[in-house]
Amino acid sequence: MSVIGTIARKEVLVALRERRVLVLGAIVWVLLAVAGVTGYLVYAQQHSAIVQTQQEKRQEWLEQGDKHPHIAAHYGTYVFKPKTLLSLFDFGLDAYTGTSVYLEAHYQHEFMFRPAQDHSSLIRFGELSLALVLQVLVPLLIIFMSFHTITQERETGTLRLLISQGVTFQQITWGKLLAHGFLLLSILLPVVVGLIIMAFLSDAQAKMTDLGLRSILLIVSYTIYLFFFLMLSIWVSLRSSSGRNALLVLLSCWIILTVLMPKTVANVSERIYEIPSMREFRAAIAEDKAHGLHGKSTKSERQEKLKQRYLEEYQVDDVQQLPFNFEGISMQAGEDFGNRIYDHHQERLRQLFYRQNHLASIASLLNPFLAIRHLSMAMAGTDLHTFIHFENEVEHYRRELVRRMNHDMAQNSTYGKFFEYKAGRDLWDEIEDFTYQTPGVWQVVQYYKLELISLLAWVIVLCVLVYYSNRKMKPINE
Amino acid sequence: MNRATRKIIQYEWKVFIRNRFQLLMLGVLFLFGLYAIYHGQAEIIDQRDTINAVMKLEQSEFDAYKSSFTEELKTLEQEQTHDVASRPAYAWYRHGYHAVLPPHDFAALAIGQRDLYRYYYRLTAMSLYYQLFENELANPGNLLTGNFDLAFVLVYLFPLLIIAFGYGLYASDKEHGILALLKVQATSVHKVLLIRMLCYFTLVVGLGLLLSIIGLYTSGNPLQSQNWLPALVWLVCVIVYCAFWFGLLFAIVSFRKSSSFNAIAAVGCWLLFLIIVPAVLNVIVTTRYPLNSVALADLTRRTGLENEDDKEEALAVINEFLEHKPELAKSDSALEENLLPKAYAAFTSLKDIHHRQEVDAYYEGVIRRQQWAANYLWLSPAAYMQEVLVKVVDTDLGQFLHFQDQLVSFHQQISDFYFSRLFQNRPISREDYEQLPVFSMVQNGNKWFPIFKGIFTIACAAILVFSIGFVKFKKEECL
Repeated sequence: MSVIGTIARKEVLVALRERRVLVLGAIVWVLLAVAGVTGYLVYAQQHSAIVQTQQEKRQEWLEQGDKHPHIAAHYGTYVFKPKTLLSLFDFGLDAYTGTSVYLEAHYQHEFMFRPAQDHSSLIRFGELSLALVLQVLVPLLIIFMSFHTITQERETGTLRLLISQGVTFQQITWGKLLAHGFLLLSILLPVVVGLIIMAFLSDAQAKMTDLGLRSILLIVSYTIYLFFFLMLSIWVSLRSSSGRNALLVLLSCWIILTVLMPKTVANVSERIYEIPSMREFRAAIAEDKAHGLHGKSTKSERQEKLKQRYLEEYQVDDVQQLPFNFEGISMQAGEDFGNRIYDHHQERLRQLFYRQNHLASIASLLNPFLAIRHLSMAMAGTDLHTFIHFENEVEHYRRELVRRMNHDMAQNSTYGKFFEYKAGRDLWDEIEDFTYQTPGVWQVVQYYKLELISLLAWVIVLCVLVYYSNRKMKPINE
Repeated sequence: MNRATRKIIQYEWKVFIRNRFQLLMLGVLFLFGLYAIYHGQAEIIDQRDTINAVMKLEQSEFDAYKSSFTEELKTLEQEQTHDVASRPAYAWYRHGYHAVLPPHDFAALAIGQRDLYRYYYRLTAMSLYYQLFENELANPGNLLTGNFDLAFVLVYLFPLLIIAFGYGLYASDKEHGILALLKVQATSVHKVLLIRMLCYFTLVVGLGLLLSIIGLYTSGNPLQSQNWLPALVWLVCVIVYCAFWFGLLFAIVSFRKSSSFNAIAAVGCWLLFLIIVPAVLNVIVTTRYPLNSVALADLTRRTGLENEDDKEEALAVINEFLEHKPELAKSDSALEENLLPKAYAAFTSLKDIHHRQEVDAYYEGVIRRQQWAANYLWLSPAAYMQEVLVKVVDTDLGQFLHFQDQLVSFHQQISDFYFSRLFQNRPISREDYEQLPVFSMVQNGNKWFPIFKGIFTIACAAILVFSIGFVKFKKEECL
């Protein structure tokens, strides 16, 4: 049997005899179980509520009765943000992005109802999810498990005995790493198995693109992340003169990485790139709609121009002579113009969000916790980019709906006789129901290159550090 | 103070200032505290700016209306403005009034839910529910991360400082072999320990009070009549909360385990109180009291009459509305002229009347959640302290629910103002502009009781953990 194997076996044996690892493991298990069960309950509750209401809204749309298409476009419909299956693993931003949006002509409503608003300020402490346990608590478990693994050998003098037997530092360190990795894996195995079963056996495949791949990527990234903490703990233990010092250093790292830095970065980004208030945002859009982008043309000027263009094109003197209802055309032109203005302002707003988040991405190069947090949300489909993808799809659907209504109005109604024409069920049926498919995983991951680099780089850096420290190590510290 | 006590304090001070690491920690925490105050104030200044901006918009809107009565109407635009200013048929849904929840002077110290909830609304006489649910713009990622305010520094970071200072007391003496020397002294070991803890307590609480006083003074004047009580209570909170953590640490140290054990146990408690208990409470609340906001979404739909040129339908709607508002039905004028705007006004008001129960039920659900969670807050003194602090500076959920409650009556006031004129066919005169509806926030009466209850509970917890430590030490000493 190799030396590394022997060391690892001894380490596991000692850990099992000491109750600490068992107790800590049990606590983590309980938390994982609670997180898993409640995560599933929340998912199931919200999923069924959303599916049901979405169906009701569809019925309402179809059975709205005969009315003018433009009134129907104002009657509009609602879209609710579907819960992704993996959101039961990582709630991500779900509590802070709105859940429903009203789609109507002329006006882009923002998402309403952030679930966090239904809670007291306690919600700001965070919700228990599998992701929280794995990102925050398990690293602490690793620290508690491994901080004294080498310092203890040193303090009790067994290190000297080991070295004198011809065992090298490399063998000791990697043996211990193997043992702790094994212990950790056996504690976390249920999560891995659970994720895999969920990904490959559930029928929710259709709702979430690349569910299997996402789950595997989640497992891989968390493995790398936790391996980072394992390496860090063992390296610090290797370098420290006493267990107490190792613990102090590791706990400080943990607090800086998981508590202090994320908040600081987010708040600094908030100060650097300031978000306008909703009132300002809306006022700017209204201003541009009335006077054109950069004050170029007023609404009546634009309408006059459009009219002239159509009169010339069809060689007629009056809009009433056009082979279609000009009101429908002008309505759609107004809609297109409004959309352009909105796109302009929304893009500016999103750029602010991106810049704020980019700062956090840069910070993740220094902080693997930030890296895993962003990646985990991305894989679970609860991050900002997936939300924006969803927002875009919804807006696209709204535009299509309004366009179809205006088109129908132009084709079938008569100029100036608004109330005479009514469309019916046939037209409502033409509008397909809104369905949403999350983007492919690679499409989302491309936004998180820095985070991927961070995770990999940190593990490599620590491997190198451990390797070199081993070479330089002496059995007694003076 | 006897000689021995003085000596102990003297030596502890020497040890303390020689330990660079501890000094560094203290300094870094102080800087973090200053940054937190700065960040909180920047956030609140932004909000105040927004409030000023929207009030200015309202001011200029109404100035235009007012001046349209006196100036000569030359352009079409001016005429339109005068129509909107004087004819209730236009005015009722175009005149917007802002209801504002101005931040408490000390809101910068604990931002609470202020970044998540709307603190200003523009209300017209249209259906309240069209106007109630729009959110403020925010980066959801940053909302999730939360604010780096002074409350965060006090609630999250101060306990860590206390742990860092205290976990080695007694245990490290034992580990360094000083304990045996201490034991032969006339002063008992636990008394020495208590005095040393008291030194650190003074130091940490001193830092907490210093930061708080800086924060209080730079955010508002604590000596003003409406501010002195919140300021005083804030300072008491700092003392009580630190006392709890020192008590807890004393209890842990009293078990006379190794310093590593103490550190693990103390950090474990920190984890329990600051992360696990709140996180578990939150998911339990979510699953136990499911709230379905999707049902409310429907209220924001801009529906209108089925057929706008059907006079019978319009009259039916108006009549139904007048049943709820008999005072408007007194004159016959209600059913003449401007039928379409009247019907529309009646329609949106009826919408509010019909759906009030639904909305009330929803917010009752939110309150039930809050109450349930409040019943278990004692499980985590840290979460409890956070709740108390946000309550002191009026940034808690209750304040926002109260604000939304007041919106209902303000909205009623606006509706009454316009509808009385619309339904009696009276134009709006220049004089009417002197008695426009004004929003005034009636303060929540029983603000302080839950705060004192919270402080009392945490103080009890502090006494409890301290007593455990004290008894444990006494018992060991007798052996």
